[in-house]
Amino acid sequence: MDTFSALMSGFAVALTLKNLMWGFLGVTLGTAIGVLPGVGPALTIALLLPATASLDPTGALIMFAGIYYGAMYGGSTTSILLNTPGESATIVTALEGNEMAKRGRAGPALATSAIGSFVAGTIATILLTVMAPIIVDFALKFGPAEYFSVMVLAFTTVSAVLGASAARGLASLFFGLTIGLIGLDSQTGQARFTLGIPELLDGIDVVVVAVGLFAVGETLYIATYLNRIEDKMEKVKGSIWMSKSDWARSWKPWLRGTAFGFPFGTIPAGGAEIPTFLSYATEKKLAKNPEEFGKGAIEGVAGPEAANNASATGTLVPLLTLGLPTTATAAIILAAFQQWGLQPGPLLFETQPQLIWGLIASMYVGNVILLILNLPLIGIWVKLLEIPRPLLYAGILIFATLGAYGLRNSWFDLALLYTIGVIGFLMRRYDIPVAPVLVGMILGPLAEQQFRRALAISQGDLTIFVRQPISATVFAITALVLFGPPIWRRISARRARPATTP
Amino acid sequence: MTRSPIHPGELLISLGLIALGMFVVWETRGIAETQGYAQIGPRLFPYIIGAGLTLCGAVLSWQALSGGWRNVPLDQEEHDAPDWVAFAIISVGVILHMVIIGWAGFIVASTVLFVLIARGFGSRKIVRDAIIAVVLATVVFFIFTLGLGLTLPKGPFGGI
Repeated sequence: MDTFSALMSGFAVALTLKNLMWGFLGVTLGTAIGVLPGVGPALTIALLLPATASLDPTGALIMFAGIYYGAMYGGSTTSILLNTPGESATIVTALEGNEMAKRGRAGPALATSAIGSFVAGTIATILLTVMAPIIVDFALKFGPAEYFSVMVLAFTTVSAVLGASAARGLASLFFGLTIGLIGLDSQTGQARFTLGIPELLDGIDVVVVAVGLFAVGETLYIATYLNRIEDKMEKVKGSIWMSKSDWARSWKPWLRGTAFGFPFGTIPAGGAEIPTFLSYATEKKLAKNPEEFGKGAIEGVAGPEAANNASATGTLVPLLTLGLPTTATAAIILAAFQQWGLQPGPLLFETQPQLIWGLIASMYVGNVILLILNLPLIGIWVKLLEIPRPLLYAGILIFATLGAYGLRNSWFDLALLYTIGVIGFLMRRYDIPVAPVLVGMILGPLAEQQFRRALAISQGDLTIFVRQPISATVFAITALVLFGPPIWRRISARRARPATTP
Repeated sequence: MTRSPIHPGELLISLGLIALGMFVVWETRGIAETQGYAQIGPRLFPYIIGAGLTLCGAVLSWQALSGGWRNVPLDQEEHDAPDWVAFAIISVGVILHMVIIGWAGFIVASTVLFVLIARGFGSRKIVRDAIIAVVLATVVFFIFTLGLGLTLPKGPFGGI
């Protein structure tokens, strides 16, 4: 049992007092920012990047992972009690959760989402433990061509498959890739796209981009378009414990939600939105009394909540084993690895087993802490929702400008922050997804490196990407993912036409 | 809700993408191609990205000219008129902060920023906001400079 002993040595790392403290800090912070509307895990981790650069990477990464999955727990509280969801992944939870709260059943709704998150988080962590070594074994055979092909697949699925429009997703991705180009070329040391501005020689810092898009852009958008919507908060009345029938109705949705969430997290098509919608639709179809849906059916809370937690853990599979980020937060965590000169991937399992397995083991512990934080202590988090909106966003911007300015005390970064903020505002307004910008910006330079290495090996012969069986297969899948849906739509439209016009 | 056939905002963004794509291609031509062991230098990848941007911009321009981008929620649903005053106040806050932080210091600049953002979100309790802002900015200043070793501008009144 190689995996088992590796995991046990991981626990030895995760259970040291120092790392327990980092884990506790991470999941507590994660719950808090999950509850607060307007602050997400990607923004929080980005803001903490400069402050953690001098820390021990294991502890800091345990904290970052805690922020990531902790935010999924906290987000459900906001979705249930407030009519505006806290995180995009918990929009579906709000459908039934908010209805339950309006009918005085806020307690059981919070309980089923916390326990469901725990069940899903723990099962997903077990799956991560089992799957990671298998994928690592496979990925050790990867050369530059194979890496480049899976990166292109990740680019495609992140930008073209998710969201309302492939064209807008890809535009967002290419914009991120362009940002990634700025600075010194990693292989020849030549300056590219710096426009003669010395500040740009180091490239644009990921902190400025993430904070600009998620804090400044979001603040501008909420103030301009959504500030007149009144938040109406439901009270947590009565017992928060679930009745016998609540349990009976919840446990199957938890498991089904996990089954939807984890695979969607692991395949490079990240994001928790699709599996939560699938889980909701499935529970609605399977429910004994589907007429209850829309009026506060507990299945509609239990399933999607499990799905979003399982998918958050699932995204760590491609991130840790292949170095592939598939969500905005995963991209920021990859940037965190890079600030210590670490590159997630199969080699990291060999060179830094303590770090990787310590991180995985910490997630078992973190889920237990989160269950405690989110059930008995729920009253504390509810208080956070009472912060008036003007003060909340004003506070967010203090930290945002601090994060950008603190990098090197330059007003140039603040000007960049505002510019990217306005771009983020426009992206929100015109429904252009933001995650591809970050994935493109962080993964782009790595993809270029693999691309050029592959071509150096093949002496400039581009057919290397289709001559290797693995990369050829991955490119075929990418083409299918990109061109399959529109072609399919056209074929079915053509088939439908003769039927309507006789 | 009826829609005008051409959506000016969407068209502008699409044309902006085309312009950015062409700019990337044009700038790439100025990068010196290295000769030597590496077969592929620093130019091919930027060319691909520039072409991709231009192509996306072209597709989106065509969509903007033929009935608008597909599935934009804000175009389809009824929503309140955008509050451009709020947008302007927040922008002034961020830009003013950038201009004054160097000489007025972190605490003063952050206080001004906080009060303006709160005002942008419709807060009318300026005194309350200012008190909260000073306390928050001071606490943050000392945590980050003394606790985390960050350097932040003190300004004439800061670092008391």
